[in-house]
Amino acid sequence: MEYFSLKRSADVDRGQSNLSSKVYVRSTKSGKVQKIVRELYLRQDIPCSSNLCRACLHIAPSNYTKKVAPFVLSDTPAGSKNFPNGQYLIPDTNAFLTGMDLFELESAFHDVVVLQTVLEEVKNRSLPLYHRLIALTKNEGKRFYVFFNEFRQETHVHRDAGETINDRNDRAVRKSVQWYNQHIAQAVASRSKKSQRIPSVVMISDDRDNLRKSKADNIPATTLSDFVSGLENADELLDMISAAQERREVRSAKTEVFYPEYFTMSKMMTGVKAGTLHQGIFNVSPYNYLEGSVHVPAFDKSLLILGRENSNRAVSGDLVVVEVLPQDQWKAPSTKIIEEETLNKNDNPEAEDGENVISERERRALQEAVKRVHGQSTEGRPQPTARVVGIIKRNWRQYVGHIDRDSVRSTSKASRTQQTVFLIPMDKRIPKIRIRTRQAGELLGQRVLATIDSWDRDSRYPVGHFVRSLGELESKGAETEALLLEWDVQYRPFPKIVLDCLPAEGHDWKVPASLDDPGWKGRRDLRDLLVCSIDPPGCVDIDDALHARKLPNGNFEVGVHIADVSHFVKPNNAMDKEASQRGTTVYLVDKRIDMLPMLLGTDLCSLKPYVERYAFSVVWEVTPDADLVSVDFTKSVIRSREAFSYEQAQIRIDDRSQQDDLTNGMRHLMKLSKKLKQKRYDAGALNLASPEVKVQTESETSDPVDVQTKKLLDTNSLVEEFMLLANISVAGKNYEAFPQTALLRRHAAPPKTNFEELANQLKIKKGLELRSDSSKALADSLDTCVDSKDPFFNTLVRIMATRCMMSAEYFCAGTQAYPEFRHYGLASEIYTHFTSPIRRYADLEAHRQLAAAIEYEQLDPSLHSKGKLEGVCKNINVRHRNAQMAGRSSIEYYVGQALKGKDMKEEGFVMKIFSNGFVVFVPRFGIEGLIRLRDLATPEPEADFDAESYTLHVKGDVNRSVELFEKVMVRITDEMEESTGKRKVKLSLV
Amino acid sequence: MAPSQHVQVNLSPAELSYLRSSLAQSPPIRLDHTKGPKDFRSMRAEYDVLPGANGSARIALDDGLEALVGVKAEVEKSQRSPRVDEQEHRLTVAAGDMDMQDADDDDTKAKGQNAWVEMSVEIPGFRDEDALPVFLASMLTESLLASGGLKDRLYINRRFHWKLYIDILLLSPALSYPLALLSMTTHLALLTSRLPALKSEKDEDPLFDDDWDASVPLYPKSKGKTKGTQAMDRPPVIVLAMAVDQNIIFDPCKEELAVADAVLAVACTDSTSSPSGAQVIAIRTIDPPSHLTPLGVPNAMNSATGGVVPASTADAITQRELLASSDVWTPPRGGMKRALVGQIVKAVVEKGGVAEEVIQALQSIDVG
Repeated sequence: MEYFSLKRSADVDRGQSNLSSKVYVRSTKSGKVQKIVRELYLRQDIPCSSNLCRACLHIAPSNYTKKVAPFVLSDTPAGSKNFPNGQYLIPDTNAFLTGMDLFELESAFHDVVVLQTVLEEVKNRSLPLYHRLIALTKNEGKRFYVFFNEFRQETHVHRDAGETINDRNDRAVRKSVQWYNQHIAQAVASRSKKSQRIPSVVMISDDRDNLRKSKADNIPATTLSDFVSGLENADELLDMISAAQERREVRSAKTEVFYPEYFTMSKMMTGVKAGTLHQGIFNVSPYNYLEGSVHVPAFDKSLLILGRENSNRAVSGDLVVVEVLPQDQWKAPSTKIIEEETLNKNDNPEAEDGENVISERERRALQEAVKRVHGQSTEGRPQPTARVVGIIKRNWRQYVGHIDRDSVRSTSKASRTQQTVFLIPMDKRIPKIRIRTRQAGELLGQRVLATIDSWDRDSRYPVGHFVRSLGELESKGAETEALLLEWDVQYRPFPKIVLDCLPAEGHDWKVPASLDDPGWKGRRDLRDLLVCSIDPPGCVDIDDALHARKLPNGNFEVGVHIADVSHFVKPNNAMDKEASQRGTTVYLVDKRIDMLPMLLGTDLCSLKPYVERYAFSVVWEVTPDADLVSVDFTKSVIRSREAFSYEQAQIRIDDRSQQDDLTNGMRHLMKLSKKLKQKRYDAGALNLASPEVKVQTESETSDPVDVQTKKLLDTNSLVEEFMLLANISVAGKNYEAFPQTALLRRHAAPPKTNFEELANQLKIKKGLELRSDSSKALADSLDTCVDSKDPFFNTLVRIMATRCMMSAEYFCAGTQAYPEFRHYGLASEIYTHFTSPIRRYADLEAHRQLAAAIEYEQLDPSLHSKGKLEGVCKNINVRHRNAQMAGRSSIEYYVGQALKGKDMKEEGFVMKIFSNGFVVFVPRFGIEGLIRLRDLATPEPEADFDAESYTLHVKGDVNRSVELFEKVMVRITDEMEESTGKRKVKLSLV
Repeated sequence: MAPSQHVQVNLSPAELSYLRSSLAQSPPIRLDHTKGPKDFRSMRAEYDVLPGANGSARIALDDGLEALVGVKAEVEKSQRSPRVDEQEHRLTVAAGDMDMQDADDDDTKAKGQNAWVEMSVEIPGFRDEDALPVFLASMLTESLLASGGLKDRLYINRRFHWKLYIDILLLSPALSYPLALLSMTTHLALLTSRLPALKSEKDEDPLFDDDWDASVPLYPKSKGKTKGTQAMDRPPVIVLAMAVDQNIIFDPCKEELAVADAVLAVACTDSTSSPSGAQVIAIRTIDPPSHLTPLGVPNAMNSATGGVVPASTADAITQRELLASSDVWTPPRGGMKRALVGQIVKAVVEKGGVAEEVIQALQSIDVG
């Protein structure tokens, strides 16, 4: 009987076949476990991509335009001592994982072959590193080539029986290196008969076993550190290798552990599903680095995480799983300021022995804090505490900081010995990072960028490595770059691919003269309207312009005209992608980091005076009482008559002698805006305050000269009112057209508990009542919070109330129920951002949706997809917040610089009281500063803290008491804050 | 028990009679005269023929009968009525109580449920609900579940288990009664089945190693390879035996079945308790097709040969009863004698008996 096997014959004639298969187990989200068999069709037409090779040029597959992708690797690669004929590098997975910062150097590491095996392993091990590697392969100058070794017949490697995946992958790497060497040698030989320099293909690996095997097979290989040692500037480069791998050997002898082990992933997932464990983002209190909190969906209030052991190696920002501790361990949030630097000054980064997770002093500080607040009312009530049992996702990024001077053993610049030092991050919520460096002497006094590599159970602090130095501490360049890095602001110039999307005419672009031009299609000609813009002085990216005129029926026609950015930025091109990444323009004191290239932002889109510009107009008819009669949206062409600053506009309106139509139009606007504002307040809109400060700088050097709080004019609120009105109108229209996908902005009502503390404080200290059941009630009760002796008191309360609020956020209409759309602060049912498309991406999306809603153009599919829009919203929410924080830090830096060397007395208000210090707010500069007990006198005076009445009685020589809301005189000097290396304002009690 | 209406044997009463008498000789002469009473038809077997399945096997007999079996495993949530103490227990586990005692896990036996194994048998020319596939499936399932070993292997933890889908496909037409073939193929498929390796612990949601090479066999192989005699658990196998007069014949072919006095399906497995031979799990008698064969007409009742045709049916029955011991073909009636059953069972389970031989032969396919 003839017998045919059902099996593929691949196993029989292994090697000859062009078919292979891969078997693995896949676990799906729904809990299914599948055996997956993937067939691989091996090919021979995958090129080596070396410019030395002609053979591959013929076999390489061509794309649909019949072109072969250009070859990447140079025909004259750089050589080194061991490989004088030049070298192509083939790093293994660990080389990328530990040395990604090195590979990103511009000066070295060119002509690198990234194997598919390695790329996939990197992807599995670390997604951020994978993205960085992909970015590298796209960088033409670096000449990184991804070689699909698993698909090429000669380099495909079968897994042997009993071989681990790692061994198999290592073998695949060696096989590829071997093949490459033979292949390149052949290629060079076929080019010319004469002996030529044949570049070596070198494997970079730190795996001893792998190196040994490659040596046995005569495959060129080297370790990463050996390779780097051969480069210029080796000391600096060696510091950039991740610390994780070195430690393996160094630490092997040590077994002492400080932190509990994490739960297994499956255990955590089971617990989270069952509701016994909770998942959330770990946040550290800026006042107390030992106190963290995790907000979890199951509870209204955040869970407290106290102490280092409970936070168990979580770093602020990580996604963690926590377990609630038994009730007898519940505690109140501390009322004490605890700063890392004061407690752990004397840690020795080198010494590992005798290290406790919680140093004795830390423990005492924590206990005291707990003791003080036990058994007290309202805010003192013990709150649920939790401990971190595992980490789902690390959100480690690069941290800016400076080297702790005390941790450096030898400060001599000449010394090249490697030592371990502490990097103190600028962000106080991040623990010190232990770094091994050979250049400690040089790095002192510099702003340094570093990353965290690992945090093992046997190490008290995380271990990281040096990335680069930003420059001298306190120098403007270094500090600005530092804060941009800290807030993850993309500040590099726009790449060429983005600039290619700009109109070819450049600055010469004009609104087409002929009305038949396609640009005019669907546009209304509003050039005869008397439009003007009102902005802060010196504004060049003018988003909005206004007009108003009286209609024959006694009503008013009011128009808001917004720069038509969506005409220039088409969905899904490179510029759009870049803008959606950046999300918003970031304003620093002396610098603006644009969302869109300059050409658009400050010229073609900007509604500059005297020139014609495309605009997106919202035109209302309103009654003299500011009731809306109708609203109309249209794309248009306008010509702004004048660009005013707020001040100029105010002067012009107030000047009775000006009676031209433009000025009268502005007066109409002013009148209407006041009525609109009143209506808003009647509806319960909040008038909140935040301390806004302006730094005056010298025009040339932009060195700060003086600091002032911003003055608010009527014209500010004129513009604001109409922008709000436009946003609300557009939100309604977009929602009507796209009930699922309209991009909107909401401001959730704050949970009542947020106001508990403030209300209690006001009640006890001032006998005032703060009601927060609705925004109207809150607005009204805020109005009553006045102190006849102190006009500023009301503003102070408003500032404090603002801090109790939730932050507003962008969202996609389909993700929330209609009642949730509400904007609490504005007391509007629905709201979006429409009026600043030059500087906010959300507005640009709203423009596109509105254009589709009025049937001006088709909506791009990406704006139909709820999933994609949610992604956009998530990103711009983060970017928006970061931009604000970056702006604030910039002001803080400049305020510090402006006050440098000055010494003055100002009045301030106590806005927060701790048991060992208090926070004072100085309205004149909009700054708040902490005054600790130990700043009052040395030795630190004793003090009684009465949490019930918010009073701190300082004993000893000082002998005075400080209470909440008290007006105090403070002396303002400046000091270099040691923990962060920032120049900060220092306040002291007079 | 399974009616075998499909096995149409086109033999005349005379041929049937001849066949029976040769089988009844001592020693019997089988249709394939080279074979002794305990010899099986030769077969070719291979396993892991379906790459996507957890285990698979295919066996072809040299008479053209061929079967393919695929085994697929899926994770399923266990249905259980949570008792109060269990509920409590589960909570502490999830809360991270690592020193959960295994004491009450002692009942490692009988954790499995019959519903965790699902079998489907497909035979060309038959619908799913036809008697033959249904009976075959239930017989095969019964033997698999009888020992309890298999379903206990499917237990992952209190909350999850594997659900095993065994798909049996007869590739050829059902030329002869395919029970033994299907059983052997299933045996081989199960023997070579692998389950992903479990990484999670205790009652957590199961998490598995994504490396297929790390997967564990459903029936773990014994460590030392000192021939197959030591105790180790293997799936059961069903052996078909028939009796003709005093003779016992194993693995009968279609024609032989047509003259069987009685047919016995013996499900057996390696004995884990006794060191010798195998263990019987289940025995079923099978209604042999010989019951349906046409009667031979004795000369005495055939007018063509000078006999007298009986006047009435009752007459005919009486006459036949009298002629029962003659050589004229009469379909066998009644069951099997006790002593014969005993002999069959003995031949199957004894040391070096049929069962052991079959199981070891299949085992050697896997090992070899």
